[in-house]
Amino acid sequence: MSIAAGGGADACGYTEDQLAAMLAELTHDFASSLDVEETLQHAVDQIIRHLHAEAASIFLLDDARRALVCRKCAGPVDITGLRLQKNEGIVGESVRTGRVQIVRDVAEHASFAAGVDQGTGFVTRSILCAPLTVRGETIGALELMNKRSGDGLFAGADLHLATTVAAAAALAIHNARMAAALVEQERVRKELELAREIQLSLLPTGVEDGLPIRGINMPAREVSGDFYDYFRLPDGRVYFSIADVAGKGMNAALLMAKTTSLLRCLAKRIDDPGELLSRVNDEICETASLGMFVTIVAGFLDPRTRRIALANGGHLPPFQRAAAGRYIDLPPQMPPLGIVAGLVYPTDTLVLDGGCVYLFTDGLTESLDGEGHQLGLSGLRRLLDEVAGTPADLRLLALVTELEAAGRRFNDDITMLLIELDEPLLALRVQADPRELAQVRTTVQETAEAAGCGTKCAADIVMAVNEACMNIIQHGYKGDPAGTIDLEIRRDGDALEVWLRDRAPAVDPVDIKPRPLEELRPGGLGTFFIREAMDDCTYGNLGACDGNYVRMTKRIVQ
Amino acid sequence: MSYKVTTDSGYAIVHLSGDIDLSCSPEARKLILERLAAGKHTLVDLSGVTYIDSSGIASLVEGYQTARKKNLQFGLIAVSEAAMSVLELARLDKVFPIHASVADRVK
Repeated sequence: MSIAAGGGADACGYTEDQLAAMLAELTHDFASSLDVEETLQHAVDQIIRHLHAEAASIFLLDDARRALVCRKCAGPVDITGLRLQKNEGIVGESVRTGRVQIVRDVAEHASFAAGVDQGTGFVTRSILCAPLTVRGETIGALELMNKRSGDGLFAGADLHLATTVAAAAALAIHNARMAAALVEQERVRKELELAREIQLSLLPTGVEDGLPIRGINMPAREVSGDFYDYFRLPDGRVYFSIADVAGKGMNAALLMAKTTSLLRCLAKRIDDPGELLSRVNDEICETASLGMFVTIVAGFLDPRTRRIALANGGHLPPFQRAAAGRYIDLPPQMPPLGIVAGLVYPTDTLVLDGGCVYLFTDGLTESLDGEGHQLGLSGLRRLLDEVAGTPADLRLLALVTELEAAGRRFNDDITMLLIELDEPLLALRVQADPRELAQVRTTVQETAEAAGCGTKCAADIVMAVNEACMNIIQHGYKGDPAGTIDLEIRRDGDALEVWLRDRAPAVDPVDIKPRPLEELRPGGLGTFFIREAMDDCTYGNLGACDGNYVRMTKRIVQ
Repeated sequence: MSYKVTTDSGYAIVHLSGDIDLSCSPEARKLILERLAAGKHTLVDLSGVTYIDSSGIASLVEGYQTARKKNLQFGLIAVSEAAMSVLELARLDKVFPIHASVADRVK
C-alpha cells in the first residue's frame, strides 16, 4: 500500500503533487495554530476535501480517558458532541489498538456502532480510522466515511495518507493543549500572585507602636487564606482578629478582603465580639458563594481592665498561657462564618494576669517534621514554653526560627498573634485628695526620668498628670477625698503612655474641652495645659459604674 | 507652699514660695483677695515658687480681675523660672504687669 509515484492520478483519485501540497498546507496550518478548536475544524475541512471523503470526524478521549467524544466533524450530518464508550465501534478499536482501521464494507463489520446511522440518517458504506498518537500515547482518532470518488470505498493509499495526516493532527492537538496548559498555568500563577498581594495589603501596616499585640504571617509557597488584623479604638480598647478563609486564590482573597472590611467597620461600632461575629456571619451567608467560609477568632483587649472579650467561629481555640506557665483552656467554638445564617455567637472573657494569649491558624499545628508528623497542639505548647523567656517583640519570630531549625515543613501559611501587656513602669492608686498631688508629681517625675525623659519632657508629663488629677478631684469626685485615682505609666514604643482612671460618675468626654485663652477667667486652664504638654490625650468613660479614664501619650525627649 | 505678707512703697506684697497646687491655691487666692478687699495695691512675689499649676494661675487671674474692678494696681514681681514657664504657656506673661522687683515696679 504505497501512494502511486509520478504525476498522474492513481486509483485513489489524487496526484502526488496534490498530496504533497495538501500535506504541506495541513502541517503548516497545524504548526501555526495554537487554538485547539480552530486547528481541529480546519483539519477535518481539509481532510474531507483532499481525501475525497463524504464525512470526517475527530474523536478525542475525555479527561477521564473513559469515553471518546466527537470534537469536530465535517460532512452532511453534525455529530459533534457524540460520545462513544472507549472500546465502542471502529473508532474505539483504533484507539484501543493504536492502529489504523479500514472497513471497506461496513455492513459486514461487527464492531460498527450501527445505532449512529439509524439516528442520523447517514448511510455509512466505508470507514477509514486512524489513531491520533503522540509519543506513544493515543489521544483519539480521525475517522473518515465513504469515499466520494471511485467505487466509494477506501483503499490502501487512503489508509497511508490518513495515517500521515492523523500523526500531524495529533501533534498539533498536543501542541495546542500544551500551549493552553501553559496559558492556564500562567493565569493561575498571576491569580495567586494577585491574591497574595491582596492578602498582604490586608495585614495591618503602619500600626501605632507599642500596641500590646504582635502578629506574624509567613507565606507558604501557595497562597493561603490567612489574615490577621488589630488596631486601637478611640476609647483605648484594642481590636484583634485572626482568620483563615477556606480555599485559595482569588475567591479566597476576595472573601478575605470583604470579611476584613466588614470587621474593621463594624468593630468600631459593636463592642461585643459575639454580636460582631453574628452580624458578619449573616452578611457573609447572604453573599458568599457556596462552600466558601471563614474560621475566625475576633475580640477586644481592654488594657485598663486587662480583660479580653472574644468570640470564636470555627477557629482553633487560642491558648492562654498564664504567668506560671499553665495553659488555660478556652471554651469550645461555634461553626465558621458563612455557613449557617442567624447563628448567635457567644462572647467569652478572660483576664490577662501577667500571662499572654496566642492565636494561630492550622498552618502552624499542621506543620510536618522529617517523619511527616504534625506539630499538633501539644507540640505547639512545648514550643511556646521554650520561647517563653523571649521578649514579646521577638517571640513569634523566635518560634518560627525554632520550627525551621527543627526542619519542619509548612504547606500552609504560618500566622500567629500574641497578646501580652507590658508591665507598667508605674502603677499607683492615690486618694482624690489635693494633698496627695505633691507625692504624685515626685513619683511621676522619677518614673519619667528613669524612662529617659529629659527635664523639660518630664516636667511636661508631671504637669499633665497633675492637671488631670485635679480635674478628677474637682470635677469627677466634686472634692470628695474618699475617691480613688489609679495612675499607670507604660512604655509605648518611643513614648510614654499615661493612664488615669477614676470611679466617679460618668463624664461625657464631649464636655471636657479647654477654654479659649482670650477668655480671661480663672479655671478651665488645666485641659489646655494637658493638651499643650502631651502629644495626645483621650478621655472616655467605662459606663455608669466603672468610672472615667484619660489616656495621654508623650514621646520621650531626652 | 509657704507665704508671708509685707508692705513696701504703698503696696501690699504677697510672697508665695514652694509648690502652689490645688492643696494650697485656695489659700493663695484668699491672701490676694483679702489685700484687694482692703483697698491695697497688691503685688505677688513669685521668686520662691518651685511649681504652680492651673489652680494657682487661676488665683492670680482672679486677683488681676478683682483689682481692675476696684481700680487697684496688681502685678507680679520676681517671677521664678518655674512660674514663668507656666505663665507663658497660658499666654498670661503679656497680660499681667511683671517686674523684677518692687523697686523696678515703682520706678
